[in-house]
Amino acid sequence: MANHITRRQALGATTALLAAPAFVRQANAQSRFDWRRFAGDRIEVTLQTSPRGLLLQRQNKEFEDLTGIRCGIEVVPEQQHRQKVIIEYASGRPSFDVAEMSLHVNKRQIGKARWNTDIKALIADQSITAPDFDFADFGAGMVQYATQADGRMDSLPAFADYFILYYNKELLAARNIAVPTTWDGMFEAARALTEPSRQIYGHVGRGLKNANVVLWSSYLLGTAQRDMINANRQLITDTDDAIWAGEMYKKFLRDVSPPGSIGFNWNECQTTFMQGRAAMWIDGIGFAAPLEDRQRSRVAGKVGYALVPKGRSASHHCCLFGAGYGISETSRKKGPAWLYLQWALGKENQLRMLTSGAGVPARSSPFGNEAAIAASTFPREFFQTLGESAKIARAGLPEIVPVTQFRDVIGAALTNTISGSDVATELRRATAEFRPVLEQSERES
Amino acid sequence: MMQQAETITASSSKGARARNYARHYGWFIVPAAVVVLAVIIFPWIFTIYVSAHDWHLGGARSWVGFDNYIKLFSDSRFGWAMLRTLFYTVLSVIFPMILGLAAALAFNHKFPLRGLARTIFILPMMATPVAVALVWTMTFHPQLGVLNWLLAQVGLPPSMWIYSANTVIPTLVMIEVWHWTPLVMLLILGGLASLPIDPYEAAKIDGANGWQAFRHITLPLLMPFIVVALIIRCIDALKAFDTIYVITQGGPGSASETINIFLYLQAFAFYNVGYASAVVVVFFAIILALATLLLWTRQRVKMT
Amino acid sequence: MIVEAKRSPAQYRLRRLIGNIGFGFSVLVLISPAILFFLWMLSLSFKNELDNTDWPPVFIPQSPTLDNYREVFARNDFLRFAWNSIVVSFGATGIALLIGVPAGYGIAKMHAMRAAALILIARITPGLSYLIPLFLLFQWLGMTGTLTPIVITHLVITVPIVVWVMISFFEGLPPELEEAALVDGASIWQAFRYVAMPLARPGITVATILSFIFSWNNFIFAMVLAGRETRTLPVAVNNMLTFEQIAWGPLSAAALLVTAPVLILTLVAQKQIVAGLTAGGVKGA
Repeated sequence: MANHITRRQALGATTALLAAPAFVRQANAQSRFDWRRFAGDRIEVTLQTSPRGLLLQRQNKEFEDLTGIRCGIEVVPEQQHRQKVIIEYASGRPSFDVAEMSLHVNKRQIGKARWNTDIKALIADQSITAPDFDFADFGAGMVQYATQADGRMDSLPAFADYFILYYNKELLAARNIAVPTTWDGMFEAARALTEPSRQIYGHVGRGLKNANVVLWSSYLLGTAQRDMINANRQLITDTDDAIWAGEMYKKFLRDVSPPGSIGFNWNECQTTFMQGRAAMWIDGIGFAAPLEDRQRSRVAGKVGYALVPKGRSASHHCCLFGAGYGISETSRKKGPAWLYLQWALGKENQLRMLTSGAGVPARSSPFGNEAAIAASTFPREFFQTLGESAKIARAGLPEIVPVTQFRDVIGAALTNTISGSDVATELRRATAEFRPVLEQSERES
Repeated sequence: MMQQAETITASSSKGARARNYARHYGWFIVPAAVVVLAVIIFPWIFTIYVSAHDWHLGGARSWVGFDNYIKLFSDSRFGWAMLRTLFYTVLSVIFPMILGLAAALAFNHKFPLRGLARTIFILPMMATPVAVALVWTMTFHPQLGVLNWLLAQVGLPPSMWIYSANTVIPTLVMIEVWHWTPLVMLLILGGLASLPIDPYEAAKIDGANGWQAFRHITLPLLMPFIVVALIIRCIDALKAFDTIYVITQGGPGSASETINIFLYLQAFAFYNVGYASAVVVVFFAIILALATLLLWTRQRVKMT
Repeated sequence: MIVEAKRSPAQYRLRRLIGNIGFGFSVLVLISPAILFFLWMLSLSFKNELDNTDWPPVFIPQSPTLDNYREVFARNDFLRFAWNSIVVSFGATGIALLIGVPAGYGIAKMHAMRAAALILIARITPGLSYLIPLFLLFQWLGMTGTLTPIVITHLVITVPIVVWVMISFFEGLPPELEEAALVDGASIWQAFRYVAMPLARPGITVATILSFIFSWNNFIFAMVLAGRETRTLPVAVNNMLTFEQIAWGPLSAAALLVTAPVLILTLVAQKQIVAGLTAGGVKGA
């Protein structure tokens, strides 16, 4: 018994000794980074429904285990997400701590109202930033995209999306048609590939208003004009180049696309392509994920990935869109939220995004990871196209505040042309309708 | 209103006591009235206040008085929304009324398994509109949807359903008819069940056939119930939102943009709450005017 | 009748038979849109993706699968949303009964048509008209993470239904029994509570069922007011338009699960529902 007591005493002493370093550790907590610093806290995260959002939702437990922070994550369809998030911001007390922000839609709106906190300040704070965070890993272009005009970076760039040309290798090979490199060439190819009796069409694309503007942008980027507002921030959506792009849109959607594409958003287009009913599809590279899934896709293994075709000018561009994840200014959990961002946009998750075809990571390191790329279900061609698109990417929407309304007005005009209206008339009318809205919004800023 | 007759013919002392208590019954109504007023009136006052401003969510707000209303009446998009709402409402009222009347007549007869058939018939009305709308969307797919397959089976060409500006409103009307005919049927069935038998006996003796009996006895006696169903249908059709929003969000383009959808877009997609509030006020005024008109019609019908 | 007697019995029977077949056929036509739709919904939910997007459409799958249902429960917080719907619908119905039954009684007794009109105005206002201010109010009060705002706004649906149904039931009660109670010295509250209410039990049942169904089915209030954890089923199923479109299987499985409670309720309580809506029609709005 004496031994017992002695042993217990010994154990007690040892524990006291071991505890000492913990005391010391805590004393240094202010200056050293610890993933578990905010253990026990709760944060709310809201993301858009997309392969990226779903990826993070699936991996959520990993974050909770790493940090001890309980993370409530919700994934909401695109349009609803944007609406809900803005309304919550506007009410002054959003219910979320971290929100995904479509840079091509809401950047100026959120930046102007300063609804998000400045990430740069958080990066500078060493006590809550992991030593291996490596901010330099983020591509310069994406960082600039996520930075507001006044220098604040109110979201951490998450991913980019480039528009590419998806094509069905089997269908093209059957007719001995080469991968088109110009829009006109693509139209001819689509015409040759269209067989309504077999329910196969040469092309499928977005016809749904609002969503379809980005397809029109793709054609517009192939002109000398390229953009939708000029240097004086005035609308130039009714010029010759804009009308040429509109005519191209009308031709594609009306003559060589499946009936019903007037109501298609990317998901219906994706399904049509996945069922093997469309030979070519222009859309974001981030929608590739299910195409190579043999359980869902009839074209798995037969998909080709190419750069978007050229237009009638010398320059060659593809649409660029992007998103960042931001922390709301009124959040009381900025620390835990920042830890979330570091995990969600850390090297590992960004690599996962790339290799599962879920999107174009904002970080550069995933592109150099040869082993992971080789092990991915996506072919070399996919990664090559991705890399090359990055070089020619250019913003596909104007950086203004009322982007949604812009997409709605121009989009409705474009959809009307599919039913047969004259392109010039529609675009001029839409431009005249939106011009006062833009002017007022510019005055207010 | 037999109730009223009874009360009058009752003994005077009982009548007096009933009238004495009448004002006390008011307290029974107060809680419900208070709740309804609180949830509706205060937001309404706020809406009218907001409609007099140029108010963007997340932006500036400034007083503009009647400007929003003036802008509204010169807004061609709103004008088109009103026309589409009119088109949608008229169709969504006529068809359920006719089909509901026919169904009520059918279900008024006794036949084996009537209960089961009636239950099946009213299921569409009870099903969750959003869930049902999503399944409808799947049936409309131009290449893979089952409806076009059905059309092909009977030799008709495939339709574009919700994917063409020409067919989208009739398609939405079709769903609305499928959804709400049971309600019209039930309302009229109640009336049919309460019809007296004597006039029919008299008609038979006089040698009238079924159609004549229907035109001269059934229809006039059913009028009050038909008008009630008409009122409820009109109001519901004007307010239709869930199905249209879920299926087309007002598309393709703006081909199915009714006033309610237009309102939603202005408020929650363009964050133009000042303008949206003005739309709300005008919309409600229209509904109120229609309801009053129909109620007045009902009074006239009751008298005849 | 004089004309009928000239026909032979056989011809008469034949005429009856054709009439009956014609009638049966028209009944079939009337109910086929309803039943075919729900059968198709059922079929979609038991087929896998490749079967669901096959052409011509597959009606009865070779290998029916329960995977779609499993995916619904695994992928979303489905049970939580179901619970939210239950809480909201029961809550809104319960409160509506508490205040609506007496209100219906009072209006019936007083023939207070104006009060009835006031409460029924709630039925004709478009939902969006008061959602914006209510949303801002609840945000300001800090209540948006709870189900309370949704229950409160659902009262606008449930109270008018309860009141409407109860008015016609109370009006249909003969007043003698209550008069007798009043003569015996009971207060009007006691007359209501112990005489009228038990008699109106069928009406209360109907009001409960209808109120529950329409609250359960409501989409727009929860869509605007609900947060991540307080969503109700209709909103959740709308959000299920997932990235991997066409996910027809899981979508129809979810749709079926969402609407199943009210469908089953309808099947079980169809007599009461029919009684409630047809009687309500008699006295009318």
